[in-house]
Amino acid sequence: MRGKLLQLLSQSKDRFLSGQQISDMLHISRTAVWKHIEELRKNGYEIEAVPRKGYRLRYMPNLASTDEIKSKLQTKAIGRHIVYKKEVTSTQDIAHQLVQEGAEEGTIVIADKQTKGKGRLGRPWHSMEEKGLWFSIILRPDIPPQVAPQLTLLTAVAVQEGLERATDLPVEIKWPNDILLRGKKIAGILTEMHSELDRIQAIVVGIGLNVNQQKTDFPEELSAVATSLSMEANGKVFQRSDVIVSVLEKYEHWYYKYLDQGFFPIKKRWEQLATTIGKEITAKTMRKEVQGIAEGITDEGVLLIRKKDGTLESVYSADID
Amino acid sequence: MFKVNEIKELIRALDNSSVAELEIKGENKEKLTIRKQGAVGQAVVQPVAEEASVPDAAPPTAQEAPAVESTTKSEGKEETKAPAPADDDSIVEITSPMVGTFYRAPAPDADPYVKVGDKVEEDTVVCIVEAMKLMNELEAEVSGEIVEILVENEELVEYGQPLFRVKQA
Repeated sequence: MRGKLLQLLSQSKDRFLSGQQISDMLHISRTAVWKHIEELRKNGYEIEAVPRKGYRLRYMPNLASTDEIKSKLQTKAIGRHIVYKKEVTSTQDIAHQLVQEGAEEGTIVIADKQTKGKGRLGRPWHSMEEKGLWFSIILRPDIPPQVAPQLTLLTAVAVQEGLERATDLPVEIKWPNDILLRGKKIAGILTEMHSELDRIQAIVVGIGLNVNQQKTDFPEELSAVATSLSMEANGKVFQRSDVIVSVLEKYEHWYYKYLDQGFFPIKKRWEQLATTIGKEITAKTMRKEVQGIAEGITDEGVLLIRKKDGTLESVYSADID
Repeated sequence: MFKVNEIKELIRALDNSSVAELEIKGENKEKLTIRKQGAVGQAVVQPVAEEASVPDAAPPTAQEAPAVESTTKSEGKEETKAPAPADDDSIVEITSPMVGTFYRAPAPDADPYVKVGDKVEEDTVVCIVEAMKLMNELEAEVSGEIVEILVENEELVEYGQPLFRVKQA
Protein backbone atom coordinates (compact mmCIF):
# COMPACT_ATOMS: atom_id res chain seq x y z
CA MET A 1 0.00 0.00 0.00
CA ARG A 2 2.74 2.46 0.90
CA GLY A 3 4.52 1.41 -2.28
CA LYS A 4 1.44 2.46 -4.30
CA LEU A 5 1.16 5.72 -2.36
CA LEU A 6 4.78 6.49 -3.06
CA GLN A 7 4.21 5.69 -6.71
CA LEU A 8 1.31 8.20 -6.87
CA LEU A 9 3.32 10.90 -5.14
CA SER A 10 6.40 10.46 -7.27
CA GLN A 11 4.39 10.29 -10.49
CA SER A 12 2.56 13.55 -9.75
CA LYS A 13 5.97 15.22 -9.33
CA ASP A 14 5.47 18.93 -8.46
CA ARG A 15 1.68 18.82 -8.42
CA PHE A 16 -0.22 18.44 -5.17
CA LEU A 17 -2.43 15.41 -4.60
CA SER A 18 -5.28 15.92 -2.18
CA GLY A 19 -5.94 13.48 0.62
CA GLN A 20 -9.33 12.77 -0.94
CA GLN A 21 -7.79 11.95 -4.35
CA ILE A 22 -5.32 9.59 -2.78
CA SER A 23 -7.98 7.98 -0.64
CA ASP A 24 -10.18 7.42 -3.73
CA MET A 25 -7.36 5.98 -5.81
CA LEU A 26 -6.09 3.60 -3.15
CA HIS A 27 -9.49 2.80 -1.64
CA ILE A 28 -8.36 3.62 1.87
CA SER A 29 -9.62 6.19 4.40
CA ARG A 30 -8.08 9.65 4.64
CA THR A 31 -6.85 8.75 8.10
CA ALA A 32 -5.03 5.78 6.60
CA VAL A 33 -3.52 8.06 3.95
CA TRP A 34 -2.23 10.34 6.70
CA LYS A 35 -0.75 7.40 8.63
CA HIS A 36 1.10 6.12 5.57
CA ILE A 37 2.42 9.65 4.83
CA GLU A 38 3.75 9.81 8.40
CA GLU A 39 5.44 6.45 7.96
CA LEU A 40 7.13 7.58 4.75
CA ARG A 41 8.33 10.75 6.48
CA LYS A 42 9.89 8.64 9.20
CA ASN A 43 11.87 6.82 6.53
CA GLY A 44 13.35 10.04 5.23
CA TYR A 45 10.88 11.12 2.54
CA GLU A 46 10.12 14.83 2.69
CA ILE A 47 6.44 15.26 1.98
CA GLU A 48 4.93 18.69 2.01
CA ALA A 49 1.34 18.98 3.28
CA VAL A 50 -0.59 22.18 2.46
CA PRO A 51 -4.20 22.70 3.63
CA ARG A 52 -6.74 22.54 0.79
CA LYS A 53 -4.02 21.53 -1.67
CA GLY A 54 -2.84 18.23 -0.37
CA TYR A 55 0.49 16.41 -0.42
CA ARG A 56 3.58 16.81 -2.53
CA LEU A 57 6.83 14.83 -2.52
CA ARG A 58 9.78 17.15 -2.07
CA TYR A 59 12.68 14.78 -1.54
CA MET A 60 13.29 11.07 -1.90
CA PRO A 61 16.08 9.46 0.11
CA ASN A 62 18.19 7.02 -1.90
CA LEU A 63 16.59 3.94 -0.41
CA ALA A 64 16.09 0.43 -1.65
CA SER A 65 13.33 -0.34 0.84
CA THR A 66 10.21 -2.43 0.30
CA ASP A 67 8.05 0.68 -0.27
CA GLU A 68 10.50 2.22 -2.67
CA ILE A 69 10.96 -0.96 -4.73
CA LYS A 70 7.25 -1.75 -4.77
CA SER A 71 6.47 1.75 -6.01
CA LYS A 72 8.41 0.95 -9.18
CA LEU A 73 8.55 -2.80 -9.74
CA GLN A 74 6.48 -4.25 -12.60
CA THR A 75 7.06 -7.97 -12.10
CA LYS A 76 4.68 -10.83 -11.42
CA ALA A 77 6.84 -13.14 -9.32
CA ILE A 78 10.39 -11.93 -8.77
CA GLY A 79 10.16 -9.45 -5.90
CA ARG A 80 6.53 -10.27 -5.14
CA HIS A 81 7.59 -10.60 -1.51
CA ILE A 82 10.30 -8.30 -0.28
CA VAL A 83 12.06 -8.67 3.04
CA TYR A 84 13.98 -5.48 3.73
CA LYS A 85 16.46 -5.10 6.62
CA LYS A 86 18.73 -2.25 7.57
CA GLU A 87 21.59 -4.51 8.61
CA VAL A 88 22.16 -8.25 8.36
CA THR A 89 25.10 -10.64 8.51
CA SER A 90 24.36 -11.65 4.93
CA THR A 91 21.14 -11.62 2.93
CA GLN A 92 22.00 -15.22 1.98
CA ASP A 93 21.72 -16.24 5.65
CA ILE A 94 18.24 -14.71 5.95
CA ALA A 95 17.14 -16.17 2.61
CA HIS A 96 18.27 -19.70 3.57
CA GLN A 97 16.29 -19.35 6.78
CA LEU A 98 13.21 -18.26 4.81
CA VAL A 99 13.67 -21.24 2.48
CA GLN A 100 13.44 -23.56 5.49
CA GLU A 101 10.27 -21.76 6.54
CA GLY A 102 8.77 -22.38 3.09
CA ALA A 103 9.26 -18.97 1.45
CA GLU A 104 7.74 -18.69 -2.00
CA GLU A 105 9.63 -18.45 -5.26
CA GLY A 106 10.47 -14.86 -6.11
CA THR A 107 10.89 -13.74 -2.50
CA ILE A 108 13.78 -11.30 -2.22
CA VAL A 109 15.80 -10.30 0.81
CA ILE A 110 17.53 -6.94 0.68
CA ALA A 111 19.67 -5.12 3.23
CA ASP A 112 21.33 -1.72 3.42
CA LYS A 113 24.43 -3.20 5.02
CA GLN A 114 25.93 -6.64 5.41
CA THR A 115 28.33 -7.24 8.27
CA LYS A 116 29.46 -10.60 6.86
CA GLY A 117 28.89 -10.35 3.15
CA LYS A 118 30.23 -13.50 1.55
CA GLY A 119 31.40 -14.84 -1.75
CA ARG A 120 32.21 -18.35 -2.89
CA LEU A 121 34.23 -20.67 -0.66
CA GLY A 122 34.23 -18.35 2.30
CA ARG A 123 35.65 -15.36 0.46
CA PRO A 124 34.46 -12.09 1.99
CA TRP A 125 32.40 -9.60 -0.02
CA HIS A 126 32.75 -5.99 1.05
CA SER A 127 29.22 -4.71 1.58
CA MET A 128 29.29 -2.43 4.59
CA GLU A 129 28.15 0.58 2.61
CA GLU A 130 24.57 1.72 2.17
CA LYS A 131 25.71 2.81 -1.25
CA GLY A 132 25.47 -0.59 -2.84
CA LEU A 133 22.67 -3.09 -3.33
CA TRP A 134 22.90 -6.37 -1.44
CA PHE A 135 20.11 -8.83 -2.06
CA SER A 136 19.13 -12.47 -2.49
CA ILE A 137 16.47 -14.03 -4.69
CA ILE A 138 14.76 -17.29 -3.73
CA LEU A 139 13.91 -19.61 -6.64
CA ARG A 140 12.23 -22.99 -6.64
CA PRO A 141 12.54 -24.19 -10.24
CA ASP A 142 11.15 -27.56 -11.23
CA ILE A 143 14.29 -28.64 -13.11
CA PRO A 144 16.78 -31.45 -12.44
CA PRO A 145 19.65 -30.40 -10.13
CA GLN A 146 22.27 -31.31 -12.74
CA VAL A 147 21.15 -28.51 -15.09
CA ALA A 148 20.85 -25.89 -12.33
CA PRO A 149 24.36 -24.45 -12.95
CA GLN A 150 22.86 -22.92 -16.11
CA LEU A 151 21.13 -20.47 -13.79
CA THR A 152 24.42 -18.77 -12.96
CA LEU A 153 24.81 -17.82 -16.63
CA LEU A 154 21.19 -16.69 -16.64
CA THR A 155 21.88 -14.46 -13.63
CA ALA A 156 24.83 -12.94 -15.47
CA VAL A 157 22.64 -12.10 -18.47
CA ALA A 158 19.92 -10.56 -16.28
CA VAL A 159 22.36 -8.48 -14.23
CA GLN A 160 24.24 -7.31 -17.34
CA GLU A 161 21.04 -6.23 -19.08
CA GLY A 162 19.54 -4.73 -15.93
CA LEU A 163 22.63 -2.63 -15.22
CA GLU A 164 23.12 -1.56 -18.80
CA ARG A 165 19.47 -0.45 -19.05
CA ALA A 166 19.67 1.52 -15.79
CA THR A 167 23.02 3.19 -16.46
CA ASP A 168 23.98 3.00 -20.16
CA LEU A 169 27.40 1.79 -19.08
CA PRO A 170 29.28 -0.92 -21.06
CA VAL A 171 28.80 -3.88 -18.69
CA GLU A 172 30.67 -7.10 -19.56
CA ILE A 173 30.30 -10.75 -18.58
CA LYS A 174 33.25 -13.02 -17.85
CA TRP A 175 32.63 -16.79 -17.63
CA PRO A 176 30.48 -17.90 -16.02
CA ASN A 177 28.97 -14.98 -14.11
CA ASP A 178 31.52 -12.29 -13.31
CA ILE A 179 30.17 -8.84 -14.05
CA LEU A 180 32.73 -6.21 -14.99
CA LEU A 181 32.89 -2.58 -15.99
CA ARG A 182 36.01 -1.59 -17.90
CA GLY A 183 37.75 -4.65 -16.55
CA LYS A 184 36.89 -4.08 -12.89
CA LYS A 185 34.44 -5.95 -10.71
CA ILE A 186 31.08 -4.23 -10.38
CA ALA A 187 29.00 -7.10 -9.02
CA GLY A 188 29.34 -10.34 -7.16
CA ILE A 189 27.02 -13.31 -7.59
CA LEU A 190 26.80 -16.25 -5.21
CA THR A 191 24.38 -19.02 -6.15
CA GLU A 192 23.62 -21.64 -3.52
CA MET A 193 21.38 -24.65 -4.01
CA HIS A 194 19.57 -27.02 -1.71
CA SER A 195 18.85 -30.22 -3.57
CA GLU A 196 18.21 -33.88 -3.30
CA LEU A 197 19.53 -36.24 -5.97
CA ASP A 198 16.66 -35.59 -8.37
CA ARG A 199 14.86 -32.57 -6.99
CA ILE A 200 15.72 -28.97 -6.18
CA GLN A 201 14.34 -27.64 -2.93
CA ALA A 202 15.48 -24.10 -3.54
CA ILE A 203 18.15 -21.98 -5.11
CA VAL A 204 19.25 -18.77 -3.42
CA VAL A 205 20.89 -16.27 -5.77
CA GLY A 206 22.87 -13.64 -3.89
CA ILE A 207 23.72 -10.49 -5.82
CA GLY A 208 25.92 -7.65 -4.66
CA LEU A 209 26.07 -4.51 -6.80
CA ASN A 210 28.48 -1.64 -6.30
CA VAL A 211 26.28 1.35 -7.10
CA ASN A 212 27.23 4.69 -5.55
CA GLN A 213 30.51 3.94 -3.79
CA GLN A 214 33.39 6.27 -4.45
CA LYS A 215 37.03 5.28 -4.51
CA THR A 216 37.51 6.01 -0.81
CA ASP A 217 34.61 3.73 0.14
CA PHE A 218 36.56 0.64 -0.93
CA PRO A 219 39.26 -0.85 1.25
CA GLU A 220 42.66 -0.26 -0.28
CA GLU A 221 43.17 -3.86 -1.38
CA LEU A 222 39.99 -3.71 -3.46
CA SER A 223 40.45 -0.37 -5.19
CA ALA A 224 42.54 -1.88 -7.98
CA VAL A 225 40.00 -4.59 -8.82
CA ALA A 226 36.62 -3.16 -7.83
CA THR A 227 34.62 -0.23 -9.10
CA SER A 228 31.09 1.16 -8.86
CA LEU A 229 28.50 2.31 -11.37
CA SER A 230 28.90 5.85 -10.07
CA MET A 231 32.69 5.86 -10.39
CA GLU A 232 32.41 4.75 -14.01
CA ALA A 233 29.75 7.41 -14.72
CA ASN A 234 31.82 10.41 -13.59
CA GLY A 235 30.39 10.43 -10.08
CA LYS A 236 26.73 10.42 -11.07
CA VAL A 237 24.58 9.17 -8.18
CA PHE A 238 22.08 6.49 -9.17
CA GLN A 239 18.77 5.94 -7.39
CA ARG A 240 19.39 2.49 -5.90
CA SER A 241 15.78 1.42 -6.27
CA ASP A 242 15.89 2.14 -10.01
CA VAL A 243 18.91 -0.11 -10.37
CA ILE A 244 17.49 -3.07 -8.45
CA VAL A 245 14.11 -2.76 -10.15
CA SER A 246 15.81 -2.85 -13.54
CA VAL A 247 17.77 -5.99 -12.57
CA LEU A 248 14.73 -7.75 -11.06
CA GLU A 249 12.63 -7.08 -14.16
CA LYS A 250 15.33 -8.50 -16.41
CA TYR A 251 15.68 -11.43 -14.05
CA GLU A 252 12.01 -12.24 -14.32
CA HIS A 253 12.12 -11.94 -18.10
CA TRP A 254 15.02 -14.37 -18.51
CA TYR A 255 14.01 -16.77 -15.73
CA TYR A 256 10.57 -17.46 -17.15
CA LYS A 257 11.94 -17.66 -20.66
CA TYR A 258 14.34 -20.31 -19.35
CA LEU A 259 11.61 -22.34 -17.63
CA ASP A 260 9.56 -22.11 -20.79
CA GLN A 261 12.14 -22.59 -23.56
CA GLY A 262 15.17 -24.04 -21.83
CA PHE A 263 18.78 -22.90 -21.89
CA PHE A 264 19.15 -22.20 -25.60
CA PRO A 265 17.94 -18.55 -25.62
CA ILE A 266 20.03 -17.84 -22.52
CA LYS A 267 23.12 -19.39 -24.08
CA LYS A 268 22.71 -17.31 -27.24
CA ARG A 269 22.34 -14.06 -25.30
CA TRP A 270 25.19 -14.96 -22.92
CA GLU A 271 27.50 -15.56 -25.89
CA GLN A 272 26.65 -12.12 -27.27
CA LEU A 273 27.43 -10.42 -23.96
CA ALA A 274 30.45 -12.41 -22.72
CA THR A 275 33.90 -11.07 -23.42
CA THR A 276 35.57 -14.38 -22.53
CA ILE A 277 34.87 -16.22 -25.76
CA GLY A 278 37.50 -16.15 -28.50
CA LYS A 279 40.18 -14.84 -26.18
CA GLU A 280 43.40 -16.34 -24.92
CA ILE A 281 42.68 -17.08 -21.29
CA THR A 282 44.01 -18.84 -18.23
CA ALA A 283 41.52 -20.81 -16.17
CA LYS A 284 42.79 -21.28 -12.64
CA THR A 285 41.25 -24.22 -10.90
CA MET A 286 42.14 -25.32 -7.40
CA ARG A 287 44.55 -27.89 -8.73
CA LYS A 288 45.91 -26.58 -12.01
CA GLU A 289 45.91 -23.91 -14.65
CA VAL A 290 44.51 -24.41 -18.12
CA GLN A 291 45.72 -22.07 -20.85
CA GLY A 292 44.29 -21.64 -24.28
CA ILE A 293 41.60 -20.02 -26.38
CA ALA A 294 38.10 -19.93 -24.90
CA GLU A 295 36.21 -21.63 -27.69
CA GLY A 296 32.68 -21.42 -26.32
CA ILE A 297 30.30 -22.96 -23.85
CA THR A 298 28.43 -26.23 -24.03
CA ASP A 299 24.68 -26.66 -23.73
CA GLU A 300 25.28 -27.02 -20.00
CA GLY A 301 27.27 -23.80 -19.70
CA VAL A 302 30.62 -25.57 -19.35
CA LEU A 303 33.57 -23.56 -20.68
CA LEU A 304 35.54 -25.15 -23.53
CA ILE A 305 39.20 -24.23 -23.79
CA ARG A 306 41.27 -25.17 -26.86
CA LYS A 307 44.75 -25.81 -25.55
CA LYS A 308 48.00 -25.25 -27.45
CA ASP A 309 48.29 -28.96 -28.19
CA GLY A 310 44.93 -28.77 -29.93
CA THR A 311 42.94 -30.70 -27.35
CA LEU A 312 39.73 -29.36 -25.88
CA GLU A 313 39.33 -29.11 -22.13
CA SER A 314 35.98 -28.75 -20.34
CA VAL A 315 36.11 -26.41 -17.37
CA TYR A 316 33.45 -26.65 -14.66
CA SER A 317 35.08 -24.61 -11.91
CA ALA A 318 37.74 -21.97 -12.33
CA ASP A 319 38.65 -18.33 -12.04
CA ILE A 320 39.39 -16.81 -15.42
CA ASP A 321 42.25 -14.42 -16.14
CA MET B 1 42.33 -43.78 19.56
CA PHE B 2 40.36 -46.62 18.14
CA LYS B 3 38.74 -48.91 20.62
CA VAL B 4 39.74 -52.55 20.59
CA ASN B 5 36.16 -53.56 19.92
CA GLU B 6 35.98 -51.25 16.94
CA ILE B 7 39.14 -52.73 15.52
CA LYS B 8 37.87 -56.25 16.08
CA GLU B 9 34.69 -55.42 14.27
CA LEU B 10 36.62 -53.95 11.37
CA ILE B 11 38.83 -57.02 11.13
CA ARG B 12 35.80 -59.28 11.10
CA ALA B 13 34.18 -57.17 8.43
CA LEU B 14 37.36 -57.29 6.38
CA ASP B 15 37.64 -61.02 6.77
CA ASN B 16 34.16 -61.59 5.46
CA SER B 17 34.80 -59.46 2.41
CA SER B 18 36.88 -59.72 -0.70
CA VAL B 19 38.70 -56.55 0.28
CA ALA B 20 42.40 -56.82 0.94
CA GLU B 21 43.19 -53.62 2.77
CA LEU B 22 41.33 -51.07 4.84
CA GLU B 23 42.70 -47.74 5.92
CA ILE B 24 40.76 -45.35 8.11
CA LYS B 25 41.49 -42.26 10.07
CA GLY B 26 40.19 -41.45 13.52
CA GLU B 27 39.17 -38.25 15.23
CA ASN B 28 42.67 -37.33 16.29
CA LYS B 29 44.02 -38.09 12.87
CA GLU B 30 45.41 -41.41 14.01
CA LYS B 31 45.45 -43.77 11.10
CA LEU B 32 44.55 -47.41 11.17
CA THR B 33 45.49 -49.78 8.39
CA ILE B 34 44.29 -53.33 8.30
CA ARG B 35 45.82 -55.44 5.59
CA LYS B 36 44.92 -58.98 4.75
CA GLN B 37 47.77 -61.20 3.68
CA GLY B 38 47.41 -64.32 1.64
CA ALA B 39 44.10 -65.97 0.87
CA VAL B 40 40.74 -64.93 2.19
CA GLY B 41 40.11 -66.60 5.46
CA GLN B 42 39.18 -66.39 9.09
CA ALA B 43 40.96 -63.68 10.99
CA VAL B 44 42.77 -64.34 14.16
CA VAL B 45 41.68 -61.46 16.28
CA GLN B 46 44.67 -59.77 17.66
CA PRO B 47 44.44 -57.24 20.46
CA VAL B 48 46.10 -54.15 19.19
CA ALA B 49 48.66 -52.11 21.00
CA GLU B 50 49.43 -48.49 20.23
CA GLU B 51 52.34 -49.29 18.06
CA ALA B 52 52.39 -51.35 14.98
CA SER B 53 52.22 -54.97 15.87
CA VAL B 54 52.55 -58.14 13.95
CA PRO B 55 51.33 -61.48 15.28
CA ASP B 56 54.13 -63.11 17.25
CA ALA B 57 53.62 -66.40 15.64
CA ALA B 58 51.65 -67.05 12.55
CA PRO B 59 48.90 -69.58 13.02
CA PRO B 60 49.90 -72.94 11.66
CA THR B 61 47.66 -72.68 8.67
CA ALA B 62 48.00 -71.39 5.19
CA GLN B 63 45.71 -68.61 6.13
CA GLU B 64 47.42 -65.65 7.60
CA ALA B 65 45.96 -63.17 9.99
CA PRO B 66 45.50 -59.55 8.98
CA ALA B 67 48.39 -57.43 10.03
CA VAL B 68 47.29 -54.38 11.93
CA GLU B 69 49.18 -51.16 11.91
CA SER B 70 48.15 -48.17 13.88
CA THR B 71 49.99 -44.95 13.23
CA THR B 72 49.38 -41.40 14.25
CA LYS B 73 49.79 -38.83 11.58
CA SER B 74 49.54 -35.16 12.30
CA GLU B 75 50.31 -33.88 8.86
CA GLY B 76 50.22 -34.90 5.29
CA LYS B 77 47.56 -35.84 2.89
CA GLU B 78 44.64 -37.72 4.21
CA GLU B 79 44.06 -41.03 2.56
CA THR B 80 40.37 -41.34 2.00
CA LYS B 81 40.14 -44.05 -0.58
CA ALA B 82 39.46 -47.25 1.22
CA PRO B 83 37.07 -49.89 0.11
CA ALA B 84 34.51 -50.94 2.68
CA PRO B 85 32.64 -54.17 3.07
CA ALA B 86 30.58 -54.26 -0.09
CA ASP B 87 27.61 -56.43 0.77
CA ASP B 88 26.47 -54.80 3.96
CA ASP B 89 22.83 -53.69 3.81
CA SER B 90 23.31 -51.04 6.45
CA ILE B 91 25.83 -49.15 4.30
CA VAL B 92 24.35 -46.49 2.03
CA GLU B 93 26.08 -44.20 -0.41
CA ILE B 94 25.67 -40.46 -0.76
CA THR B 95 25.94 -39.68 -4.45
CA SER B 96 26.49 -36.47 -6.38
CA PRO B 97 23.40 -34.90 -7.98
CA MET B 98 25.51 -33.16 -10.61
CA VAL B 99 28.86 -32.93 -12.36
CA GLY B 100 31.20 -30.57 -10.57
CA THR B 101 34.01 -29.95 -8.15
CA PHE B 102 33.81 -31.67 -4.76
CA TYR B 103 34.66 -29.59 -1.69
CA ARG B 104 34.92 -31.12 1.76
CA ALA B 105 34.91 -27.77 3.57
CA PRO B 106 33.07 -24.46 3.20
CA ALA B 107 36.38 -22.62 2.70
CA PRO B 108 39.95 -23.72 1.90
CA ASP B 109 41.13 -22.99 5.46
CA ALA B 110 38.04 -24.30 7.22
CA ASP B 111 37.48 -27.67 8.87
CA PRO B 112 35.83 -30.30 6.70
CA TYR B 113 32.07 -30.65 7.01
CA VAL B 114 32.46 -34.31 8.04
CA LYS B 115 35.21 -36.82 8.76
CA VAL B 116 35.23 -40.60 8.85
CA GLY B 117 33.61 -41.64 12.10
CA ASP B 118 31.35 -38.59 12.32
CA LYS B 119 27.69 -39.12 13.10
CA VAL B 120 25.36 -37.45 10.61
CA GLU B 121 21.65 -36.70 10.55
CA GLU B 122 19.46 -36.41 7.44
CA ASP B 123 20.03 -32.66 7.29
CA THR B 124 23.76 -32.62 8.09
CA VAL B 125 25.70 -30.87 5.33
CA VAL B 126 28.43 -33.26 4.18
CA CYS B 127 30.07 -31.40 1.29
CA ILE B 128 29.70 -28.90 -1.53
CA VAL B 129 29.59 -29.79 -5.21
CA GLU B 130 30.23 -26.77 -7.42
CA ALA B 131 29.78 -26.21 -11.14
CA MET B 132 29.74 -22.90 -13.02
CA LYS B 133 29.93 -21.25 -9.58
CA LEU B 134 26.68 -22.78 -8.38
CA MET B 135 27.36 -24.13 -4.91
CA ASN B 136 25.32 -27.18 -3.98
CA GLU B 137 25.49 -28.01 -0.29
CA LEU B 138 24.66 -31.70 -0.04
CA GLU B 139 22.88 -33.07 2.96
CA ALA B 140 23.40 -36.64 4.13
CA GLU B 141 19.73 -37.60 3.69
CA VAL B 142 20.38 -40.56 5.99
CA SER B 143 21.34 -40.72 9.60
CA GLY B 144 24.29 -42.80 10.64
CA GLU B 145 28.03 -42.73 10.66
CA ILE B 146 30.39 -41.72 7.87
CA VAL B 147 32.52 -44.81 7.25
CA GLU B 148 34.24 -43.76 4.06
CA ILE B 149 34.96 -40.69 1.99
CA LEU B 150 35.34 -41.87 -1.58
CA VAL B 151 36.68 -38.77 -3.32
CA GLU B 152 39.38 -36.27 -2.60
CA ASN B 153 38.90 -32.59 -1.95
CA GLU B 154 38.59 -30.53 -5.15
CA GLU B 155 38.21 -33.60 -7.35
CA LEU B 156 35.84 -33.43 -10.32
CA VAL B 157 32.89 -35.75 -9.70
CA GLU B 158 30.35 -37.17 -12.09
CA TYR B 159 26.57 -37.20 -11.87
CA GLY B 160 25.55 -40.08 -9.62
CA GLN B 161 29.10 -40.76 -8.42
CA PRO B 162 29.26 -42.11 -4.85
CA LEU B 163 30.91 -39.57 -2.53
CA PHE B 164 30.45 -41.03 0.94
CA ARG B 165 29.52 -44.34 2.52
CA VAL B 166 27.32 -44.08 5.57
CA LYS B 167 26.56 -46.85 8.03
CA GLN B 168 22.92 -46.31 8.83
CA ALA B 169 21.93 -45.91 12.46
